[in-house]
Amino acid sequence: MFENRAIGLALVLPAAIFAAALFLLPVGILLSEAFRTETGWSLSAYGEFFASPRNQTVFFRTLKLATLVAAVSAVIGYAAAFAIVSLPPTSRGRMFGLVTLPLMISPVARTYAWLVILGRTGFVNQILVDLGLIETPIRILFTETAVFIGLLQLFLPLMIISLVSAMENMPRDAVPAARILGANWLQVFWKVILPLTREGLVIGGTLVFTGSMTAYITPAILGGSKVLMLETLLYQRVTVANDFVAASVIAMILIVMSFSANLLLKRLATARKSR
Amino acid sequence: MNSRLSTWIILGLTLTFLIGPFLIIIAAALSAGNNLAFPPQGLSLKWFIKVFEVESFRASFGVSMFLAIFGTLAALVLGIPAAYAMTRFKVPGAETVKLIVSSPIIVPGIIVGLALLQYFVIPLGVGIGLALFLAHTALILPYAVRVVSASMENLRVDMEEAALMLGCTRFGAFRRIVLPNIRGGVLAAFILGFVTSFNQVPVSLFLSGPGLRTLPIDMIAYMEINYDPSVAALSALLAFMSIGIVFAAERFIGLSRYV
Amino acid sequence: MIKTLALAGASTLALSAAAMAADKTLTISVYSFAQDEFKELVYDPFEEICGCEIVVETGNSIERIAKIEANKDAPVIDMAVLSTHDALGAARKGLLQPIDVAKLSNHAKLYDIAKDPLGDNMGIGYTFYATSIVYRSDKVTVDSWADLLSPELAGNVAFPDITTNQGPPALYMLGKAMGETGADLTAPIEAVGEKADDIVTFYVRSSQLAQLMQQEEIWAAPVGRFAWGQFKDNGLPMAWATPAEGQTGGMNVMVMTANNGNEELALQFMDFWLSTEIQSALANALVDSPANAEVEVSDDIAANLTYGAETVSQLDLLAPATILDERESWLEQWNTKVVK
Repeated sequence: MFENRAIGLALVLPAAIFAAALFLLPVGILLSEAFRTETGWSLSAYGEFFASPRNQTVFFRTLKLATLVAAVSAVIGYAAAFAIVSLPPTSRGRMFGLVTLPLMISPVARTYAWLVILGRTGFVNQILVDLGLIETPIRILFTETAVFIGLLQLFLPLMIISLVSAMENMPRDAVPAARILGANWLQVFWKVILPLTREGLVIGGTLVFTGSMTAYITPAILGGSKVLMLETLLYQRVTVANDFVAASVIAMILIVMSFSANLLLKRLATARKSR
Repeated sequence: MNSRLSTWIILGLTLTFLIGPFLIIIAAALSAGNNLAFPPQGLSLKWFIKVFEVESFRASFGVSMFLAIFGTLAALVLGIPAAYAMTRFKVPGAETVKLIVSSPIIVPGIIVGLALLQYFVIPLGVGIGLALFLAHTALILPYAVRVVSASMENLRVDMEEAALMLGCTRFGAFRRIVLPNIRGGVLAAFILGFVTSFNQVPVSLFLSGPGLRTLPIDMIAYMEINYDPSVAALSALLAFMSIGIVFAAERFIGLSRYV
Repeated sequence: MIKTLALAGASTLALSAAAMAADKTLTISVYSFAQDEFKELVYDPFEEICGCEIVVETGNSIERIAKIEANKDAPVIDMAVLSTHDALGAARKGLLQPIDVAKLSNHAKLYDIAKDPLGDNMGIGYTFYATSIVYRSDKVTVDSWADLLSPELAGNVAFPDITTNQGPPALYMLGKAMGETGADLTAPIEAVGEKADDIVTFYVRSSQLAQLMQQEEIWAAPVGRFAWGQFKDNGLPMAWATPAEGQTGGMNVMVMTANNGNEELALQFMDFWLSTEIQSALANALVDSPANAEVEVSDDIAANLTYGAETVSQLDLLAPATILDERESWLEQWNTKVVK
């Protein structure tokens, strides 16, 4: 570590000024929009926003879907991550590569694929009908289910990656030791795996929750105007009604929810730790 | 329970869910029919050829390429010194600086795009192209700083100190010792930034002007009007491009060590 | 490759500057619909004639007006095409200037209702369209606007969102089918609200419907005649309804943005677009129904358009001023009754 503060500051300043001027400043003005009224500063825009039943529905739907996606991806993520770490090193690397592969593919392409698969004449319906599970094709597109599936596929890799990294740092013999001591799998998970991987769960959970909440393309294409989420509502308010106050309110909600999710998950993690 | 078997079942199901849709897109793109469908109606490469004939795809591909390459380079020019300073110097208010620099990751992209349009582009009369470039740079900056920092932390400080003691200037030490050693990290940051920028949608949603669109935005606009498999073909081509770049990077520099 | 990139980059950064520097550039703002055809039939031939470059911005009306409004002090767009009520809204906001129709050699050839639909020469109609219901003739028959909410179509119908150009006219006709007479949309909005679960989606762009129809997500939807071309050859049995209550529709107009400084070129372009030759070409390609009364097309083509003075006069249209004045309260009702 070098002591010269001036040089340090000089090196860091361009990046900081750039981010502040081009990023924090405009975003800050946008966020302040909802607090400014003709008579001064006020919180009334927030009251008005939440007074609308439509906005309430959208808010709770967004919260619900993001939570659900995070929870389900945690369940699948643990199973998949545990399976990956239990592989021999070479196939582990390969499998890790395959799991991260979807992250390299444009979200537009990935969402587009679901449009074909979930449609009434799509792959899923064909299989369900062929298996005799349903008689006539069911509607999946433009429902919350479609948005849920799309989001889960979009963000599950982030959860798996976080959990795999956490599990790789776990003491190698922790699980076998617990098994020998007579713990069943549920106990092993609850008493051994979960406490040792909670950091990964916090990171993965935050990434998935925030990602689902702020995704645009997936709800736009798979949900449409009947399954509006906060992000699609924001876009609609701006393009349809030029309503920057609503946009500002939604922006604030999204940012606050992302931060709270992160804090809450961290809290949960440390609460378990201290016990 | 056979744990080997259950391992493979779990992985098989997960991968089917994650990668299956992509395979279906490729299959649908190979269709000889005029509509996007799976299974495809006959096989042909005509939609892959059509992709190259759509003029707006060519134009928006150029825009996206430009943004991804030069936006990432600009982010690195800003980010490398910042990462160097934060890992080697006591910077006053280091935590605040870190927060400022990484803020573009926290705020949803659609808000960034809207804020830039409303409070930067319109009042200052800045061109949409420049705004897009700056927005993409800001967006990649956090990745650049983080990845480069990580690789600098792995580099021992005493080599630089030795060089300084042997009479090297600080810049000389940076150029001769640090830079060659963090090459891999810089390349990793570049690739990560490139892929992020290239696939970015929400930031660019509001930042499009007459005749100026990024490729993902153009794809969305195209598929709203045309229901043919060319978007599937384009998606497949882009995915292969991204995957190719990442795999090459993994092979030559071990990308995953840095990310 | 590098050259392409450099060019793309240069154009990216310099675009707005270049657009101002080269005086022979015309920037137009149009619907994203049928742009390949427009390029071939209108833009490219005009570029040849004027030796200028046409820069095209596409999107829905409100999005485009918002941008025109945002840039009103330094207009980027020279001419735009909008729906009549959106054009009227823009005119009221002072975003438009009267069009000097004396300089348009083709103005006299237009149908009377297209000549000055907004007053003060603020807009010139260049195309009409009927709005009715497109449906799968093998699955259902549609004889009335009320059939949209019939049990047969439950779960198989898309309805235009209230914010689209087709939304209010479709609700208006639904209201007529329910026995309403005026432009009060309370009853139809309530009816749609009650059946909201049976409606697959409230579409925002009609271009989206082709895909929904193709994937058999829907069997019927109210739609403008300009979109008929997307359905008629999709390999499925499609029909255009002639409901008992009649058809509604709309007119699109050309407008000139205020203070754009490029009026001469914009006028030249408008005149070109309104000429018999270009209007015929667009009609024959089934892109836009002609507003130029001199255009003559075959019966075959006419059957696919909203063609002829008689057809046009039979359309039951909502007045632009009504749409503009009532829009907010409709939206309010819609948000409480339908979107919930």
